[in-house]
Amino acid sequence: MAMETDVLIIGAGPAGLAAAFELASRGLEVTLVDESAAAGGQLVQQTQLIRSLPAPFQPMRGFALAEALTKRLAALPVRYLLGHRMIGLYRDGSVGVADEANVFPLKARKIVVATGAAENAVPFPKWTLPGIITIGAAQTLINRDFVRPGKHAVIVGSSDFAVDVALQLADVGVNIKAVVERQSALLARDAEKVAQLKQSGIPTYVNAAVKEARGKGEVAEIDIQLSERVITEHVDLVCLDGGRSPVLEACYQLGCSFGYQQELGGWLPQYNKRLQTDREDVFLAGNAAGISTQGVVLATGMIAGVSVCEALRVIGGEEAERLRSALWKELEVLETTLFPEVWQARLRHMDNFGNPLLKEQFIS
Amino acid sequence: METSYETIIIGGGVVGSSIAYHLSERYKEGLLVIDKKFPMSGTSGSTQAWVWVHSKTPAWYAEFSMYSAELYPYLAKKIGDVEYKRTGGLSPFFREQEREKAKRLAEEYGKIGIQIDVLSREEVLAKEPFFNPRVAGATFSLLDGNVNPFRLIDMYMRTAKKNGVHYSTYNRVTDIRRRNDMFIVVSEKGTYASKRLILAAGPWSRELGKLIGINIPINQVRGQILVTEPLKPFLRYTISGLRQANNGEVLIGYSMEQAGFDRSTTLDVIQETANLAIHYVPALKKAKIVRAFSGIRAMPEDGLPILGKVPGIDNLYVAATHSGVTLSPLIGTLLAELLLDGETSLPIERYSLSRFA
Ligand SMILES: Cc1cc2nc3c(=O)[nH]c(=O)nc-3n(C[C@H](O)[C@H](O)[C@H](O)COP(=O)(O)OP(=O)(O)OC[C@H]3O[C@@H](n4cnc5c(N)ncnc54)[C@H](O)[C@@H]3O)c2cc1C
Repeated sequence: MAMETDVLIIGAGPAGLAAAFELASRGLEVTLVDESAAAGGQLVQQTQLIRSLPAPFQPMRGFALAEALTKRLAALPVRYLLGHRMIGLYRDGSVGVADEANVFPLKARKIVVATGAAENAVPFPKWTLPGIITIGAAQTLINRDFVRPGKHAVIVGSSDFAVDVALQLADVGVNIKAVVERQSALLARDAEKVAQLKQSGIPTYVNAAVKEARGKGEVAEIDIQLSERVITEHVDLVCLDGGRSPVLEACYQLGCSFGYQQELGGWLPQYNKRLQTDREDVFLAGNAAGISTQGVVLATGMIAGVSVCEALRVIGGEEAERLRSALWKELEVLETTLFPEVWQARLRHMDNFGNPLLKEQFIS
Repeated sequence: METSYETIIIGGGVVGSSIAYHLSERYKEGLLVIDKKFPMSGTSGSTQAWVWVHSKTPAWYAEFSMYSAELYPYLAKKIGDVEYKRTGGLSPFFREQEREKAKRLAEEYGKIGIQIDVLSREEVLAKEPFFNPRVAGATFSLLDGNVNPFRLIDMYMRTAKKNGVHYSTYNRVTDIRRRNDMFIVVSEKGTYASKRLILAAGPWSRELGKLIGINIPINQVRGQILVTEPLKPFLRYTISGLRQANNGEVLIGYSMEQAGFDRSTTLDVIQETANLAIHYVPALKKAKIVRAFSGIRAMPEDGLPILGKVPGIDNLYVAATHSGVTLSPLIGTLLAELLLDGETSLPIERYSLSRFA
């Protein structure tokens, strides 16, 4: 017998949790599936202050936000399947969920995919040497696992996230030897953070790229190509900031169609302003709907939640429309403050809803 | 503007690429292969890739497969290493009653010169120590083996290109017409004229045939395959159901379903397939599955290959079959003979499209 639920949310990060609140607070029974042992997703290891969040949230640190998001679900009809993964579909459309030992079918009236993003690496010769990790992995190690991943580090890339983590690494005593940026200026938009980085005395190189890494069994040296010369740094840690891409496996399996938007992380499922995919029972939330900031991630979760409530007739069309347009306005402000081009890409993406680039990818 | 070719092959899978390569051994110019995607995107990139002879029926079809298997060792000398391994093939049975059937198969194959042994339980376990000890026996043939399908197609293609064959990929053929004894092939990237045309579109053969008004009765049968993590070498033979590849992963499954062109995988079949694996080789219970994929078999209505001239249309040929990996060296050889010499060294009338008329 299949387990049944009104709404299955795949991914218990901020987007999934925000969607869950919209749904469960209106009486719908929600099941959250996440492969981690704890809810909260990437927020759990984020110690930096997250300033711009949608109402009703106040600025707070990532881990505190994760706590707040889970706390308000405590008294609501939410079932957590933590340590569980969605691994496929049964022929009748029910979702296959696995713990480490068993697979069981779960039948849901609607599905919200909130699977988040995965980090991209930056390849160069010997980039697979141990000691070379993604910037997010470095953050997880220091903030969640309380492990210092190295003593002497180079950061490759300069997004807001990379700058944040560079500062956090420096705080726990890692000697940051350089921040290397391929473009002609640092990419981080948060002026305050950039100023902090400059003050900290960490050298930053623009128009610079890694030539190669060297080391026996682990990274020991890294060559950095500057415009006129090559410098070599002795390191035991290199953190790669290659940006992030939406995690798409669930959407592939569910048969959603895809479009491409560089600014949103590359390939991602098509959706309309309800955050509904072309598979009518499947909705999107968070970074799975395009890479953005935490505030936007929460707002998309809320929009998807409202849309599913409407689809299940828990709220009327007019009310849903009103809530949704308020949330979209808020999302626009949150997104355009730092990343106007991401917002433009999002609009283009929704415009393309009717003309996906990749449809029926399994139908050869 | 249209470009002219001597021969156009539509479909660059293992069948089309083998034909292109074998033709190019003997004439170097005027060959074009067109594919709507790329040569491994069809069935040939989603296959178990056994080179399998034993247990095929009727016996004359097994004989045909045997000749193809015999060509494999020479293929490597001509086009390079395709990781062909003649491991020997095991078809297990779990009930003693099935031994009679196995003996009859061995007897029939004996008549055409294919040796098949009927093994006892102990003999199976001596050959394959990790096999389920509850097995009753197995048929065994030394002829069977497997190949790396990606290397195979890649080497066919590289050698064909070296010999002057043109490939046009991501280029769907949308129409085929006749004009003054020429074929006019209309595709997304252009229009081509050719004297001869070979249809090698695998599971899409029926759709392609319609473009020129012929019926190629090929249906689609989906198969789902599981791939384990790489395991240390522990399976020696190609077992009808699973095999261990060179780099250690075990490929499991031979499911069959009607699902049209839908290439998704379903947990129902994945779980059945996993159970089959454990039933055959209990130790696989501990292995991690890293991937599941599915492919669409090109299944002729009567199960047998469709090869040769298309009756009623001069210079039109078809090559569509299941077991295309097993048969590709022979099909390539025979079609090259048919086009260039007008006759084949083995009779292929049996496989003519005209049998469906
Ligand atoms: C799960 C599974 C297991 C299998 N196991 C084995 C095995 O162990 N041993 C064995 O011998 N066989 C096996 N097979 C079968 C074997 O893989 C096929 O017989 C073989 O791959 C068919 O090759 P093909 O070249 O005819 O078809 P394909 O590889 O499908 O090639 C046809 C090509 O035609 C192209 N095409 C189609 N329409 C057009 C068009 N309009 N314009 C341009 N191009 C077009 C396609 O893009 C495609 O690339 C298996 C198949 C499956 C699915």
